[in-house]
Amino acid sequence: MTSSSASPRRALGALAAATLLTLAGCGTSGEQPAASGASSAAPAAAAKLIVIITPSPDNVFFKAEQDAAAAQAKKLGYETLVLSHDDDPTKQSQEIDTAISRKAAAIILDNAGADASVAAIQKAKDAGIPSFLIDREINKAGVAAAQIVSNNAQGAALGGQEFARLMGNKGKYAELTGKPTDTNAGVRSQGYHSILDQYGDMKMVAQQAANWDQATALSITQTILQAHPDLKGIIAGNDTMALGAYAALKAAKKTDVIVVGFDGSPDVVDSITGGGVKATVLQPAAKISEMAVDQADKFIKTKSTGLPEKQSIDCTLVNKDNAADVTNFAIKS
Amino acid sequence: MTAPASRPLLVAENVSKSYGGVRALREVTFTAYHGEVNVLVGENGAGKSTLMKILAGAESPTAGRILLDGAEVTFRSPRDAMSHGIGIIHQELSLFPDLSIAENIFAGREPRGALGMVDFAAEKARTAAVLARLGRRLDPGTPVGLLPIGQQQLVEIARVLAEDVRVLIMDEPTSALSNQEVDTLFEVMDDLRRDGVTVIYISHRLEEFRRIGDHVTVLRDGTLVAHAPMTETDTGWIVRQMVGRGQEGLFARDSAATGEVLMSVTGLTAPGPAGAVLDSVSLEVRRGEVVGVYGLMGAGRTELMECLMGARQATEGEIRVRGRVCAEATVPARLAAGLALVPEDRQREGLVQTMSVQNNVLLSSLTALARRWLLSPRRERAGAGEQVADLAIKTPGLRAEVTALSGGNQQKVVLARALLTEPTVLLLDEPTRGVDVGAKAEIARVIGDLAGRGLGVLFASSELAEVMAMADRILVMAKGRITGEFQAGQVSEKELVAASASDKAFGGRP
Amino acid sequence: MTATVKGETRSAPAPDGPAAASRWSPRAGLLLLLRGRTAIVLVLLIVVFHTLSPHYLSDSNLLLMTKHVSINAILAIGVTFVILTGGIDLSVGSIAGLAGMICGGLLYEGLRLPGDTVYFSAVMVILIGILAGTGVGALNGLLITRLRVAPFIATLGMLYVARGFASLRSDGGTFPDLAGRPARGNTGFSIIGVNTWLGLPVAVWIMVVVAAAAILVTTRTPFGRRVYAVGGNERAAVLAGIRTGRIKTATYMISGACAALAGLLLTSELGAAYPDTATTYELNAIAAAVLGGTSLFGGRGTIAGTVMGAFVIGFLSDGLVLVGVSAFWQLVVKGSVIVLAVVMEQAQQRVQARMAAH
Repeated sequence: MTSSSASPRRALGALAAATLLTLAGCGTSGEQPAASGASSAAPAAAAKLIVIITPSPDNVFFKAEQDAAAAQAKKLGYETLVLSHDDDPTKQSQEIDTAISRKAAAIILDNAGADASVAAIQKAKDAGIPSFLIDREINKAGVAAAQIVSNNAQGAALGGQEFARLMGNKGKYAELTGKPTDTNAGVRSQGYHSILDQYGDMKMVAQQAANWDQATALSITQTILQAHPDLKGIIAGNDTMALGAYAALKAAKKTDVIVVGFDGSPDVVDSITGGGVKATVLQPAAKISEMAVDQADKFIKTKSTGLPEKQSIDCTLVNKDNAADVTNFAIKS
Repeated sequence: MTAPASRPLLVAENVSKSYGGVRALREVTFTAYHGEVNVLVGENGAGKSTLMKILAGAESPTAGRILLDGAEVTFRSPRDAMSHGIGIIHQELSLFPDLSIAENIFAGREPRGALGMVDFAAEKARTAAVLARLGRRLDPGTPVGLLPIGQQQLVEIARVLAEDVRVLIMDEPTSALSNQEVDTLFEVMDDLRRDGVTVIYISHRLEEFRRIGDHVTVLRDGTLVAHAPMTETDTGWIVRQMVGRGQEGLFARDSAATGEVLMSVTGLTAPGPAGAVLDSVSLEVRRGEVVGVYGLMGAGRTELMECLMGARQATEGEIRVRGRVCAEATVPARLAAGLALVPEDRQREGLVQTMSVQNNVLLSSLTALARRWLLSPRRERAGAGEQVADLAIKTPGLRAEVTALSGGNQQKVVLARALLTEPTVLLLDEPTRGVDVGAKAEIARVIGDLAGRGLGVLFASSELAEVMAMADRILVMAKGRITGEFQAGQVSEKELVAASASDKAFGGRP
Repeated sequence: MTATVKGETRSAPAPDGPAAASRWSPRAGLLLLLRGRTAIVLVLLIVVFHTLSPHYLSDSNLLLMTKHVSINAILAIGVTFVILTGGIDLSVGSIAGLAGMICGGLLYEGLRLPGDTVYFSAVMVILIGILAGTGVGALNGLLITRLRVAPFIATLGMLYVARGFASLRSDGGTFPDLAGRPARGNTGFSIIGVNTWLGLPVAVWIMVVVAAAAILVTTRTPFGRRVYAVGGNERAAVLAGIRTGRIKTATYMISGACAALAGLLLTSELGAAYPDTATTYELNAIAAAVLGGTSLFGGRGTIAGTVMGAFVIGFLSDGLVLVGVSAFWQLVVKGSVIVLAVVMEQAQQRVQARMAAH
C-alpha cells in the first residue's frame, strides 16, 4: 500500500510502461529486448506493483484469497494494492483503471461476473497488464493470462456424494442455493444433483435461493421446516448458508438433520469438529492465490506462464476425519 | 368624469367571481385607459387580486366579459393573456436567484438556435435591448440573486417587456423597495406611459400612487365603489371610499379602563437582508388594553411580532413581561414568560393541517396537560372543549380534521391554542386576514372580551378600519420604525395614512 | 359550492364525534375498506397461502412467521417515528449490523484493554448495543438539525459509515460463537433470539413490548403529539413553542435504538455476528411503515399501522418461500404489493377529501 515517491524511479517506471504501451499497440507482445532492457535498467529496489482485486472481504473466503495472494506477492518482492469490487462490475472496471494508471505489473482478480468482466480485463491487457483470474472463470479465452479456478463441479460432486452417504442414500432433503445471478451457484447445484438425482430414495422437497447469506438461510430453513418437519438433510451452496441452516436446526432442536456446505471456511471446519455441520468441500483458496501470484511472477520475468490458460484445481472433502488438518482454506497434506 | 383624451383599452365589464359560495367580486366594471397609469386601490380582501387574476388570465370570471380594444376576449391561461399583450408582475418576486438576468427574462421561452439549442447570443442581445429601454446598464449575465431588491423588481418588469406588452399589471410592486428605488420605478413607468403602454397599478400607498396615477378605481368588499381621474380626488376622499361607512359598527369596542404595564419593549432592533427590519422599536401594552399596530406591507409588523415571540432574533433591545426581562429568545421561553402569538398566515404558520381541531388547540399546552408524562384523553377533551365553546368555534366535532373548518373558525382554533397557554399578553398578526365579514366582527368581539378579562392585546393589521375600530391605542409602523402613536377615537384616517407613509421615527410628533 | 357553510350549520361542538363515520353511504363504505386496507391485504394473503399450503396456518408456522416479522416490525416502528416528523432513516439496516457486531465482539472476544480482557454480562452487552444504536441515531439527528443536512443524505451517509465500522470491528470476519462462557459470566445472549416464554418466542414478546410502548408514546404523550405536529407543519410547530430540533433528534435516536435492538435479535437467533447482517433491511422497514399508512411527507401514520405493514411483508415473504416460489418472482410480488398499498392510500386521501367537501 505504501507508495514509493522518489521521482527518478517514477520516471523510469513511466518510461517502461510507455514502452509497453507502444509495444502492445504494435501488436508485438513483448519479445522486444527493449522492454526487458527498460525494466532491468530499473534499480533492484524498485518494487513492481501487483494489484489484487476480489469481492468483499466481509466473506472470509475472499479475505483468505486476498491475504494469501498479498503474502505471496510480498514474499516475491512485489508491492501490493488490495481492492474489493463488492461484486459490482462497474466498480471492478474502475479498479482496473486504477491498476492501469498505477502501472501495475500484474492483476490478480476474482472477478465480478463471467461476461461483465471481459471488457475490463481486455482493457488491462491492452494497457499491457496481464490478469490472473482466480476462483471464478470468465466466458472468453485469450483475454486473461491465466484462469485458475477450483473445480466447482468436481467439488460439488464430492459434497453430493458425502451428503448421500451421510443420509444413508435416502430421505427428504432441501437445497439452499446461492445468488441466482452467480455462475458458481448454478455449477454447484448441478454438481450436487449429478450425484443426488441418481438415488431414487432421495427426495428434494424444497429448493430456495438464500443468496449466500447467513440470516436469509436461517429464516428460509425455519420456513422450510414448517412445511417439511420430517426433513432429513440440507445441502447448501456455501458455508455461510450451511451455518445459517444449522442455526435454525439448533433452535428447532433438530440437530440430527444432516447439513453439508461448500468452501471449507474456518467457522464450518470448527462446526464439523464440534459435530454441527457434517461436511464441507474445501476450495483451496490459499493455494489458488499463491499459484496465481507465482505464475504472475513468472510471466513478468519471462512473458509466459508456460502453462495453459485454464487451470482447474480439485477440491477436497472435509468431514470430521480430516477437519483437524484444515486451517484458513488450506489443508495439510 | 374622464378626461377627453382617454381611450378605454382594457375593460372588465360587469365581472363577478365566486369561490365556492364566497363572492369575491360582484359585477365590477373596471376600465384601464390607453397609455395611462390606472391605479386600483382597496383594502385587503376587497377583490383587487381577484380582478387582476381575471385580467391576466389566471382565473376566469363567473359572469361578465372582458373587452380589449372594444372586442370581447377570453383568456384561457396567463400565456394566452400574454399573447394578447397583457403582462402581470406579482407582488412576490418569482425570479430564479441562481440564474442570470438573461436566463430569467427568457425562462421557459428561450430563443432557439441550430438543433433546438438555446441561442445564448440572441438571449443576451435581446436582454441588453430590454434593459436599455428601462434605462439600466446591467450585465445580462449577472445572477439575479446578487442584485438589490429594486433591481430585481426591474428584472421582473423586463421579463414582461421582453414580450410585446400593451398592458402591464403591477401588483404592489413598491412594497419591498427603498425610496430611491421607488423613484427609479416611477421613472420607468413614466417612460412606458410615453411609449403607449397601459399600466394598471395596484397599491396601498396613497402618497405614492397619487404621484404617478392618472385614474383611480376603488374596490371594497368585492364591489366597485369609486372611479375617477386622479386630479379630481384627494387623499381624504380616497380613504373614505376605501373604508366606507358603517364598517366601524361591526367592531364594537368599548374601551375598558386600562391597568398596569404588562409588556414593555425598548429599542428592539433586528437586521434584515436589506437594512434593519426593526429599527429601535419601543412600546408598551397595559392590562386590559388593545394596542393596534398599523402599517403597510413591509412596514415590519410581522417581524415585530416574530421578534416578540422569539421566532426571530433581535440584535438589540429589551423585552419585559410583568417587569421581568425575557432574555432567552426562543418560542418556548416566550410562551413561558406569558406571551402567545397568533401568526399572520394561518395555513403556513398556524395550523397543523394533518391534525384534528382538538390536537391543534392543545398543541402549545401539552406539558401542562400531561400528568407523569401521560396525556389524559378526558383532560384533553375538557381543555379543548372549553376553548371551542368559549370561542364558539363551529366544528363537526373535536376530532374533525381542522381543514374541514371555515377560515374564520380555523383562525379561532389558532387563537384558542394561544389562549390555552393563559398568556399575559396576546400577540395577533393580522387576526382577520382572509376571513369573512361576520367572522371579522366575531374575532373583534373576542379580542374585546379578552382585554376585558385583563389580558393585554397587541395586534397588527394593515386595514385602517379594523385598527381604528378595535384598538384602544394605535401605533403606526413604517420601514421598521414606529412613526406615530394615537389614541383611538382621536385620530383621523388621514393622520394614520400619513404616518404610515412617513419615514421619520415617532418622537416629537403631534 | 356550499362547502364551508354546511359544516357551520351544526354549531354546538359535539365532543368526540368521529366525523366521517357518522353517516353511512357507499362512499363511507369505500372509505372504511380503504382505511382497513392493510388488514384486508393481510387477511387475503392468509387465505391465498392457506389454500396453497396446508402448513401455512399451522400454529408453529404462525409463530415462526410472527417471529420473523418481529425483527422488521421493531425496525419499522423506529423508522415510523422518523417518517412521522417528515424525515427518513436509511441507516437502520447498517445500525442493526453495527450493533450486532459490537455485541458479537464483546461476547466472543471481550473488550481488549491493555494487559487485560474484560467480559460483560449478556444484559450489559445488550444495553451497550442499544446505547450504541441510540448514539448513531443521535449523530444522525445532529447532522440533520444542527448542520442542516437533508435527512436522506445524512442517513445515506450513515448507512455506509455504520456498515464500514461493522466490518472494521472484525476486519470483515464473523464472530461465530455468541454463547458466552460461564467462566466469563457472559452467557445468556441467545435468550432474546432463541428462547420462548409462555409459548411465544422472546423476540415476539419484545416486539409486543416495543409496539405497546411506541403506541403509548405516539398517542398519549406530549412528545408523541409534537412528533406529529413537526411532521404536519414544522413552521406552525415552531411558532406553537415546540423545540422541533430536539423532537427530530429524539426520533432518530429512537430509530437507532430500535435498529440496534433488531440487530441484536437477529444476531442472537443466528448465534453469530457478521458485518453484512441486516443489509438492505432499511428498505423493508420503510416499506412496512408506508404499507401501514405512514405518509412519507410526515404528520400522518400510526404505529399499529406500521406493525400491520410489517406483518403483511413478513407473511408474504414467508408464504412465498413456503410454497416454493422462485427468488425472482418473490421480488416482483413483494414490490407490487408495496406499490399497490400506496395506490390505495392515495385513493383513501381522495375519497376522504371528497367526503370532507360534502
